[in-house]
Amino acid sequence: MNATSTTHAPAIRLTDLRKTFGALAAVDGIDLTIQSGEVVALLGPNGAGKSTTIDLALGLADPASGSAALFGGQPREAIVAGRVGAMLQGGALLPTMTVAQSVALIAAAHRHPLPVWEALERAGCTEIARQRVSRLSGGQMQRARFAVAIVSDPDLLVLDEPTAAMDVEARRAFWQSMREFTDAGRTVVFATHYLDEADAYADRIVMMAAGRVVADGTPGEVKAVVSGRRIRASFDFAWTAEVEAELRELPGVRSLEHRGDVLTLVSDESDAALRTLLSHHDDVHDIEVTAHSMDDAFLALTVTPSVEPVEAGAGPRVMPSVEPVEAGAGRAGFDGIDPRAHERGPRIATRPAIGGLS
Amino acid sequence: MSIAYLRLESLRQLKNVRSTIFTFAVPLVMLLLFGGIYGSGGQFDNVTGLPWIVVTTVQMAGYGGMMAALGQAFAIVTERSVGWNRQLRLTPLTGMGYLVSKVVAALVVALVSIVALIVVSVIVFHASLSPAAWAMAALGLWLGVIPFALIAVLIGQFARPQFAQPLFMVVFFGMAILGGLWVPLSVLPVWMKDVAQIVPSYWLNRLGQMGARLGGDVLEPALVLLAWTVVLGAFIVWRYRRDAARQ
Repeated sequence: MNATSTTHAPAIRLTDLRKTFGALAAVDGIDLTIQSGEVVALLGPNGAGKSTTIDLALGLADPASGSAALFGGQPREAIVAGRVGAMLQGGALLPTMTVAQSVALIAAAHRHPLPVWEALERAGCTEIARQRVSRLSGGQMQRARFAVAIVSDPDLLVLDEPTAAMDVEARRAFWQSMREFTDAGRTVVFATHYLDEADAYADRIVMMAAGRVVADGTPGEVKAVVSGRRIRASFDFAWTAEVEAELRELPGVRSLEHRGDVLTLVSDESDAALRTLLSHHDDVHDIEVTAHSMDDAFLALTVTPSVEPVEAGAGPRVMPSVEPVEAGAGRAGFDGIDPRAHERGPRIATRPAIGGLS
Repeated sequence: MSIAYLRLESLRQLKNVRSTIFTFAVPLVMLLLFGGIYGSGGQFDNVTGLPWIVVTTVQMAGYGGMMAALGQAFAIVTERSVGWNRQLRLTPLTGMGYLVSKVVAALVVALVSIVALIVVSVIVFHASLSPAAWAMAALGLWLGVIPFALIAVLIGQFARPQFAQPLFMVVFFGMAILGGLWVPLSVLPVWMKDVAQIVPSYWLNRLGQMGARLGGDVLEPALVLLAWTVVLGAFIVWRYRRDAARQ
């Protein structure tokens, strides 16, 4: 399956997008296609170019070169048609208005908005509808902004760090509302630097650093590419040099260590490694397979190769000379959304050393 | 742009407490003060041939309308500083639509101010003029307010929040003095009278008086107002486009 086989234009298509502020290349050549129905996290540290990319994608800023298209047309056309809702950096509500008034005013500017009460309800704002914006807590404010973003009943939601200033409970509630809203197959792109959030809520992660895409794949793929999976198991056999040599021959092994009667093995092909391990040893038990955390992936991909930390026992992880991992066939989509867009494995871009960044 | 949006936006501006004080309270107090002192005698103004209380009413209503319109500058500055502007750019509202909504809101607030002051004058001082003359006076003042609505939008676009107040004051006092709203032009140097002919505040008052008299040569004020409208409008559109890109 490839992108051209779908009859619908992608929700977002960015082509060699560039934007400079003075000497700084805020966005330095981004190619990105996001299909309808995808939930994509734009992950990166502050200054990675996430917000600028969003502004360019929405047509709120003009690129130095390259182009941005939404649903196959100009971004402005999609906005006028009410197909785009967004929570932007630096976009806020007026302090003197109530939440309901804010939503109503934006609704009045749209051509076919949702009823105001419905937008409020879907964003979990019914109880704060009559409150003044100036009196809202950080989490309530974000929910109010979410209500404003969805009042046009958009097909594409762009959320720039939507859960900033939220506590854990508010974040959970926010993503709950977001999921309910996206169940109908809407496309969501959210920027975040909460790694766990990208991992938990996106079915695709686009990692950015220094205005470039440095990795693009499912959370599982991105993590697997960077660090493989960690297999921990208890064993009953005696640890000998032969056994160790045998275990090192398992598919995709990067590192192996043992402590007492527990072995830890990191493999790029954990499924195959596990299968082989189990077929050869019936004296292995209490098996645990865990993905490396997003933080590991993030660090590995956004730190310049030359300063890459060497993990104990793993040997130097050479930057992205990585074989494409097979597309995640049969992987469960995000809340029933067909993850059809993952026709390819993660693309890991080789990043030239950029002066002054790291 | 929808009527619903214009209605909500204008209502919102009408409810703004700060603008209410500026646009209703101040001219109202001045009207009551001046009217109480000079107005009850029924004297006529020599220049216009209108009852003195009518001239004062027109002047204060014009002042109120001008304040009401200029006051919209603060609303825009606030909207820009908090990023409401960016939120609006994600709607079908165009740059021109945004501009128009602000001008409409300014004109609605100004009209309410003008009408309220005339009503108070009629009730309190029994200022007598035919309904048609009052209506034309209000209309004349209202048309005269248009450039101020545009000036307000322009201040709103250019001023940082901390400079909005001083800029507002400079424009307001400058316009009031140059236009002869405070000091009669007859006591000012001749060149000041020439300058007055090209500032909108001069014609604001004159248009109100022409309306009240149901007569006068409207060609010159029409041309002056049109010129101001075109120039200010062009500036506003240019600035809006520049603001459009975040950087």
